[in-house]
Amino acid sequence: MNYEWNVSIDKAILNNAPNVNKILEENPYIKETAKELRSKKLEVLGNIDFYIDKTEESVKRSGGHFHFAKDSSDAMEIVREIVKNNKNIVLSKSNVLYEIKLREELSKLGKDVWETDLGEYLVQINNDMPSHLIAPAIHLSKEKISKLLNKNLDKSINENTSVEDMVKAVRKFLMEKYLASEVGITGANAISADTGSVLLIENEGNIRMDTVLPGIHIAITGIDKIVPTLKDAFNEVIVQASYAGFYPPTYINVTSGPSATGDIELQKVSPATGPREFHLIVIDNGRKEAINSDLRESLLCIRCGRCYFSCPAYKYYGKDFGDSPYTGPTGIMWSAVTAKKYDKSLLCMHSGGCKEVCPMDINIPEIIEKIKFRETG
Amino acid sequence: MDNKTLNRILKMKNMIFDNLMESYLPFPIDKKYYSSWTDKLPRDGDTVIYTSYMYQISGILKKYEKLFPKISNVNVPKRLMGLSKFLIKPGESEIKRSFSIMNNIVNILQKNHINFGYLYDDEPYSGAILLESGFLKEFMEYGNKLNDFFKSRGIKRIITLDPHTTNALKRLKTMINFDIDVKNYIELINFNGSGEYVIHDSCLYSRAMDMYGLIRDKINKSGIKIDEDYLTTSKDMGTCCGGPLSLISVNDSDEIARLRSEKLLKINNNVLVMCPLCYQNLSPHVENIKDLAEVIS
Repeated sequence: MNYEWNVSIDKAILNNAPNVNKILEENPYIKETAKELRSKKLEVLGNIDFYIDKTEESVKRSGGHFHFAKDSSDAMEIVREIVKNNKNIVLSKSNVLYEIKLREELSKLGKDVWETDLGEYLVQINNDMPSHLIAPAIHLSKEKISKLLNKNLDKSINENTSVEDMVKAVRKFLMEKYLASEVGITGANAISADTGSVLLIENEGNIRMDTVLPGIHIAITGIDKIVPTLKDAFNEVIVQASYAGFYPPTYINVTSGPSATGDIELQKVSPATGPREFHLIVIDNGRKEAINSDLRESLLCIRCGRCYFSCPAYKYYGKDFGDSPYTGPTGIMWSAVTAKKYDKSLLCMHSGGCKEVCPMDINIPEIIEKIKFRETG
Repeated sequence: MDNKTLNRILKMKNMIFDNLMESYLPFPIDKKYYSSWTDKLPRDGDTVIYTSYMYQISGILKKYEKLFPKISNVNVPKRLMGLSKFLIKPGESEIKRSFSIMNNIVNILQKNHINFGYLYDDEPYSGAILLESGFLKEFMEYGNKLNDFFKSRGIKRIITLDPHTTNALKRLKTMINFDIDVKNYIELINFNGSGEYVIHDSCLYSRAMDMYGLIRDKINKSGIKIDEDYLTTSKDMGTCCGGPLSLISVNDSDEIARLRSEKLLKINNNVLVMCPLCYQNLSPHVENIKDLAEVIS
């Protein structure tokens, strides 16, 4: 047992779980919205090709570029073609970016690539992997973070530096990166098929910077993030934020194509102040195969990360329960879907809390039982 | 997961499955001894109480789990494995306790006007270990054999005593043509009790079979006082005793039990469980631990 992890996870649970419970009690509409969202997502899974095509049409209609990637190497090939010789790249937190090893691949090409979510930045300078879908650095204590920042960012930071001052130092560093950036790469919390819009939810403000300051914005996500309408997409981000313990979310970003203006004689001109190019890359990487299998419901997951804190295996093993970035109960499903990795499922005790707290009502223990069968059957 | 662990698990699967298909038992046990807790119930009947030997052998499961890695490294002849049923036995106080629990459950069921028989040493094991390890194909195959067995004995209703057996039989209903009525004893009885406890829920009862509310209703009505804490005992946040992990790692299973016990003891020194395996896992770390069937009448 790792004592440091034990303390960190207990603190995280204490700070998060009662808060999520309170949000759901005070806003009963969220549970109803989650139910509606589940049915919409099931509709998409039942007609995935139709909704991919519809998303493509909508993205093109709004002046964006649409790309379908069958796997990670396909996705990276598309990214390389878009990025070309641009060197300065900022990233927002996204598990799909890890899934396709984007930062690693771009760094190999000599690009200057920076994570801009604070937790992801800490993971990056620690040459580490995330320990939680939405809280990637919960395994790092304040003391450890102070050492990391001292070594990598600012020699004046030490274990007595306040959290506020640590955040300020990172903000100053990242501001230079935003201003120099030529390409901003994000994930997506939801995509609306009817408008081709990408919705991104955040609290730090970094995604606003990533999606507006660079000349090129690339959003990369799985086909599972497609929902029928813009209303459904808003529902998805509200449900995700609430079940993650952030309600109301500080920012919801909507991107529908590149920046544009109609201020002169109502003639639409693009670009305006924001990016001149918008690209949406949707990736399959095993998802379609999973839709047609007994793992189908895995793809309903909206990655709120709530299941982690109800899971005895995650509480004990941390990020070793799964294959980072896909850890915890939902990570066992995502590793099976995207990488056909099944072995960590054997650590699941079928405690069942994951199912109780899942906003999409996914019977995670029974899906993991089927993943176990793939390993030992 | 390293290859060595996986190979051990696969060997264990084959060994357990072969034993079940041959003898209705996962490993050799002394059935006469473990069914001697009663001689007052009719043999057979269309309703039977079904122990699946869980209360009786829960104390020796850990010994078998420690033995499995050793067995998987050498080819132990079947004849020698058979001898283990005489060599690996629970202590006298442990077996006395399990017999007393089962007799108390029988008394309460009878007080609630429920009649049933018992299969004594003909009783088969449920196959729960196959299901919980993800050996689904083997579980269904053995389930068919089990179904045929119960049918051949004219059994229409089974009263289970522990969560693992209850869950295994209820899951069989969703996986094969198993249409025998399955009821857990807690579902069937009202009871009296006293004392103040923190509950360590069985994950299978409370979440897999959605009995969390029913169990609390019945305990609250019984006179027993329950101390709750959202992060430790709620349906959302309560967690496993670590027991199911022991097939993968006995050490990790024990450590999870210790951590779970620490959390429970912060709420109350008296811990109440409803599963023989939870009892076994938590009892090294909790001095005052009782099974529900030890504190009700």
